[in-house]
Amino acid sequence: MKKLKMITGITWAFAGLILMFILFPGMNNLSMSVSKLPFMKINPNYNGGVVAKQIVEASCTLDIRKPVFDGLLKERKSGFVQIDWRGTVPDNIVDTIDYDLDEIPDFTITIDRIKSTTSINAMSSKVLNIGVSTPTSYGWAVRVNLKK
Amino acid sequence: MNNNLVSTSMEKSFGKSLLYTLPMFLITFIFISGGKVDFSNLPAALAIVVTFLFMNILYFMMHYTGKTDKFRVILFIIFALSLSFTLIKNMMEMRHSMSFSQADLLECKIPFCHLVIPMMIIPAAFTKSIIFPGSVIGGFADISSMIILWLVATLVLGRGFCAWGCFYGGWDDGFSRFRKKSVIKKISESWRWMPFAVLFMVALTAAMTLGPTYCDWICPFKAVTEFEQISSVESVAKAVVFISLFLSLVVVLPVLTKKRTQCSFLCPMGAVNSLSNKITPFVVKIDKKACSECFKCVQVCPLFALTKEDVKNGKASVFCSKCGKCVDVCSKNAIHFGIKGVPAGTMKNFSRNLFLFVSFLFISVFSAGSIINAVQSIFKLLF
Amino acid sequence: MFLDILFMVDSFILGLSTGSACLLTCGMVMFPYLLAGSADVWRITADLSIFFLTRLTVYFLLATASWYFGQVLFMNPVVKSIVPGILYIVFAVMLIWYSISRKRQLQCPSGFVTTIDNRRLIPILLGVVNSIGFCPALFIILTKGASESTLVQSYKAFLAFFIGSSLWFLPLPLAGKIRKKKVLQTIGILATGLAGIIFIIKGITSLIGGLINE
Ligand code: SF4
Ligand code: SF4
Repeated sequence: MKKLKMITGITWAFAGLILMFILFPGMNNLSMSVSKLPFMKINPNYNGGVVAKQIVEASCTLDIRKPVFDGLLKERKSGFVQIDWRGTVPDNIVDTIDYDLDEIPDFTITIDRIKSTTSINAMSSKVLNIGVSTPTSYGWAVRVNLKK
Repeated sequence: MNNNLVSTSMEKSFGKSLLYTLPMFLITFIFISGGKVDFSNLPAALAIVVTFLFMNILYFMMHYTGKTDKFRVILFIIFALSLSFTLIKNMMEMRHSMSFSQADLLECKIPFCHLVIPMMIIPAAFTKSIIFPGSVIGGFADISSMIILWLVATLVLGRGFCAWGCFYGGWDDGFSRFRKKSVIKKISESWRWMPFAVLFMVALTAAMTLGPTYCDWICPFKAVTEFEQISSVESVAKAVVFISLFLSLVVVLPVLTKKRTQCSFLCPMGAVNSLSNKITPFVVKIDKKACSECFKCVQVCPLFALTKEDVKNGKASVFCSKCGKCVDVCSKNAIHFGIKGVPAGTMKNFSRNLFLFVSFLFISVFSAGSIINAVQSIFKLLF
Repeated sequence: MFLDILFMVDSFILGLSTGSACLLTCGMVMFPYLLAGSADVWRITADLSIFFLTRLTVYFLLATASWYFGQVLFMNPVVKSIVPGILYIVFAVMLIWYSISRKRQLQCPSGFVTTIDNRRLIPILLGVVNSIGFCPALFIILTKGASESTLVQSYKAFLAFFIGSSLWFLPLPLAGKIRKKKVLQTIGILATGLAGIIFIIKGITSLIGGLINE
């Protein structure tokens, strides 16, 4: 029994050595395999969720994302919707958004990019306030807080 | 007896030490430089050569002198400093500030660090997603690579990750060596379970809020890496927490206690790594026949991993990071690196050589990128 | 946002963190009495169910009472923020003190059941004593019950606290087999201290909110 334990221990130690050998040269392949695991995607609370509707204009594209209410086990009572303006974004933005895609406008958002001010005019009781409004590498993004 | 006169059997002759260093020399050369150094960019080439030689000299010295921690800690501290330097330099170049912006958060551009891993497990199981605004693959410190690096390291080294891999640990390890003698000596052993309590709380709160609580509200190393832009009362509160925890647990207490207090009392990853110590092949063992029960090892252990009972039981506890400080201090050569299943007191040299090879390979290749970067910047500044 | 969500689940977190320490102090006293003289699984389950039901009933009574007192005492909205804020801070400090003090009483108040003859009464009495024990965590949850705006919210807070702390009692029949009791107890006590920190933050937020509205 003692001998068996010893052999197992030493074998495991050498397996460790081999693992370490594979780790760095195999890093790209290993991390690629990890990235394909089913849970390896960023939670919508962070990446803003998937694009539900895209409005393409001459110089700028407007992405309305799917509202995010994601919680651990069930949806939360409050959440947000993210809107992205991509491309050559005008200095003054005024857009009316129907975030739940029911053909009824839910809020109008006004952004002055020069002064960095954002205001919202809610037309639905589910729209609360502005969560984030910020310039991004692709244009501008806004998160509007919502309740269910 | 004067300890300096007692030779440890781990010492090797000059030639033998060179021979032991040769495989590390070749492997690190290939792993670090890709097999060739491009001298057309002189500062970069010099940085690679200096880093590579410096690392191998440290490894040689470990064999030649028979001391482990003495040389390990040099690399460990340099790793911590150079990583912070590289991160801050990147941030300054890209954003002209040490803080990340709302846009970085929204665009998921935050570098991922291993401390997030314990918090993402429950949410990953339930929501099939990662609760961190980073990049899944590609870019600086992406999530997949960090997971793989940590997973292999913790599987093979267990809590050895905390002495041979973590790019934060060098900070409190460094500060714990500032004074010759400790000012605060009596600390209850119960506190060493604190990281488990922190782990429990952060895992729970992270699951409930779907947010990386520890990074958001606690991590002391935000003070030397990157943190949220100060734009609200909440962000001020966070900055105060980060800075005060850094000053108290990473600077002041380590200086006063000569212990790695942040790693011993706070870090949830330390708790996870302690758990993986249960499966790792390498351990620190005590040869009870050779031990004179002077308990010097208990005194010097920076992580409260050795108690008198542990010494009497013949092995270090799960908190052991295999730093080798206790091994270096033992004049009887009773405490040594060992392999699970191999009885204490036997195959000491073999176990140490194997462990050193594995752990040094990890730290040298893992740390090479940021050290080379830091050395290159210093060269650019100087010449 | 984070704090908002955290304060929604704080009762559960409080229950879960204090529950471990509670189980490992009181649970060990209760264990032999719940199981005394019977190896019958049904009997154990019945006793545990009565114990849980008693706790739940007591908590609902406490939720109602605390909410009622909250309505009567904190009629002014500013007072409703400031007083609970102070109470949260005081009780959370007590909770932290309890978790770090070496002199803390780890003796379980349910120890007196040893003196009771009537076996049927034991799970009920244990349930009552366990839920109204002199514990800072209970004071915190009473404060929360008192500061909720509706009775349903007060019930929800107590229910979350009940669920959090009860989870630890579920494997009670196996308690004798848990090897590292001392370690779990230490971690539980330290976690209780950390839960205290959440309530200090809650107290401070509530106080600031109250002072701003003043
Ligand atoms: S305890 Fe944490 S910070 Fe310290 S070395 Fe380990 S992982 Fe790093
Ligand atoms: S027991 Fe020894 S090797 Fe382990 S952490 Fe303590 S000093 Fe380092």
